[in-house]
Amino acid sequence: MRSDLSFDPDLLRRYDRPGPRYTSYPTAPQFSEAFGEAAFRDAARRSNAEPIPRRLSLYAHIPFCFSPCFYCGCNRVITRDRSRAGTYLARLVREIARVAPLFDRDREVIQLHLGGGTPNFLDAGQLEELLDSLGQHFHFSAAPSRDFSIELDPRCVGPRDVAALARMGFNRASLGVQDFDPKVQDAVNRVQSVAETMAVIDACRTSGFRSVNVDLIYGLPGQHREGFARTLDIVTGVRPDRLAIYSYAHLPRMFRAQRQIDETLLPAPEDKLGLLRLAIEKLSEAGYRYIGMDHFALPDDELSQAQEKGGLHRNFMGYTTHAESDLVGLGVSAISHVGDTYSQNPRDLPAWEAAVDAGRLPVWRGMRLDADDLVRADAIQQLMCSGAIDVAAIEVRHGIEFGSYFGTAFDHLASLQADGLVEVDAAAIRATSRGRLLLRIIAACFDRYLHEPAEAPVRFSKAI
Amino acid sequence: MTGFARRASPIADDGDALSFCSTCAFSSACLAHGYDKSALADLHVLVEHVGPYAEGDRLFREGDPFTAIAAVRAGTVKTCVIDHAGNEQVLGFHLPGEIIGLSAISNARYPCDAVALDTVMLCRFSFPQLALLATRMPGLQAQLFRLLSQDIGKAALLSGDHSADARMAAFLVSLSRRHAARGFSASRFHLTMGRTDIANYLRLAAETVSRVLRRFQDDGLIAVDRRELDILDMPRLQELGRVVLRE
Repeated sequence: MRSDLSFDPDLLRRYDRPGPRYTSYPTAPQFSEAFGEAAFRDAARRSNAEPIPRRLSLYAHIPFCFSPCFYCGCNRVITRDRSRAGTYLARLVREIARVAPLFDRDREVIQLHLGGGTPNFLDAGQLEELLDSLGQHFHFSAAPSRDFSIELDPRCVGPRDVAALARMGFNRASLGVQDFDPKVQDAVNRVQSVAETMAVIDACRTSGFRSVNVDLIYGLPGQHREGFARTLDIVTGVRPDRLAIYSYAHLPRMFRAQRQIDETLLPAPEDKLGLLRLAIEKLSEAGYRYIGMDHFALPDDELSQAQEKGGLHRNFMGYTTHAESDLVGLGVSAISHVGDTYSQNPRDLPAWEAAVDAGRLPVWRGMRLDADDLVRADAIQQLMCSGAIDVAAIEVRHGIEFGSYFGTAFDHLASLQADGLVEVDAAAIRATSRGRLLLRIIAACFDRYLHEPAEAPVRFSKAI
Repeated sequence: MTGFARRASPIADDGDALSFCSTCAFSSACLAHGYDKSALADLHVLVEHVGPYAEGDRLFREGDPFTAIAAVRAGTVKTCVIDHAGNEQVLGFHLPGEIIGLSAISNARYPCDAVALDTVMLCRFSFPQLALLATRMPGLQAQLFRLLSQDIGKAALLSGDHSADARMAAFLVSLSRRHAARGFSASRFHLTMGRTDIANYLRLAAETVSRVLRRFQDDGLIAVDRRELDILDMPRLQELGRVVLRE
């Protein structure tokens, strides 16, 4: 994908409409409770039967946070009671012991991610217990290219913890920063100093972590150009290998925590776009490349390299250089992607706990993709990873005639084409430099469910 | 249980008294010899289309009385026996156009189990009637003998002491040829059998099957995407499998 990006405020404004982010296609609202434990077992069995079974990626969700960040839309439980970590971990270990044997032993784990919540709500000893359990029940790859990553909250992790994590095998860290502006930090209830953040980044590097990612958010209450510019300068100054710049989606009806946000402090749409523009300019100046969907990376980072060679993939954990793997999600609300299925654990803690205590696999809902879902998922995945859909590749893989199959999609694409977001020819559908910030809008053209009357209205955050 | 009796369905769509199913194991025997309408009709009357069978269904079991042979019309059938220790031994895979039940002729009982690996449709031929008709149709008789000898030849394929690479290459070449013989693509096909079954058939460990396939893929011989297989370099694959294929 070309890494050039052009910023067209008029276009971005017009297309700033709600739409899914396509971490999966079909998206989670399509999952059904008809897909349960038996279907998950069957999916695992089928995935083992492939001639070359896919390698495994593991995701473990740690839902606890010490205090609520008001912008957060993640599944989490706010508590200061550290004893909850131990009881949660005990159940998580039981889930691991039950799920792992469903997958053949020679299927190596090449990717592991701990997310939350706050994974380091678990102390170093507990994290080690978790890794031991995972390593005992699954078969960890010994290859240096394996990616073992963890989200770190710099407010509650110290350099010694980081060194311990490196010894456990973690080699990638992702740090939440959002904005260093004290007024913004106040408004979102996340006060985090530059010094403690830098100390963690330094510790990651000296401990041998291969890569550090920093998350920023634009559109937060009280955010303004000068403050955000300072944050961007500080962050690019320490040159994290990867950066994510997320748009804050204010959906207080969906996310309780966001009701704490003073709406009068939210930047006007114009100003929010200005913050995005500022971020793109600053990152380009600092030499970062746009990977796609909010993500940037330094040119020598594996993601940038993979993007050039066409070896970029994307799953629920984000962009990755690893070829498609089966994803096993563990813990409350975690999502799995095994073979042609998606499935999700219960989103609320008591339901997940009850399932584990009852000796069941905690599968709450899911779906098996049909042939049509698979064609569309492939097209959307290509768009998200390379900014283009290779028509011939889709035709060969799925045995379809692209033009006639996607007649309706072309109808939806027409206006995007007229606006210069996409170029369409016989060989490819390609996002233009102006369309690359609106990949999800282009992807939506290929989403069958979005254009069918939904049984209940589904709420998605806006594009930018 | 009598073989194939379950879920009988009326004669289907793509074969009638005048033209046979495109995959029929006997069509070549008849068409090549220019049988007239009445002879074709005679054979067709013997054919009972049965199925569909679902993945995992047993089509017959070891020891069932032998009454009929069947041609696979759609899907893949695995034949296997269970040894004294209760372990399954895969004897073969039967693709559309291929015959199952031939090995039962000598003992009047099926000597193995037959299992549907996906959705399977069969053409069932009553054996006594087929044998009777063969006395009137030399072409049919010749075809029966050909099928019998092929069945014996296939079983011999793996009895030698060959490397994992050679076994796997021979297996893929064999599948390719069998697909091609029925008019399907020789270079791109779906592997309907799971890796445990392939491993069992080739007398290899499951992880060896994957390791060899991955190496073939890295060497540019094949490309594997889930269960889709592309043969990219047939000459080299044939060369690798030559000792097993005895060419």
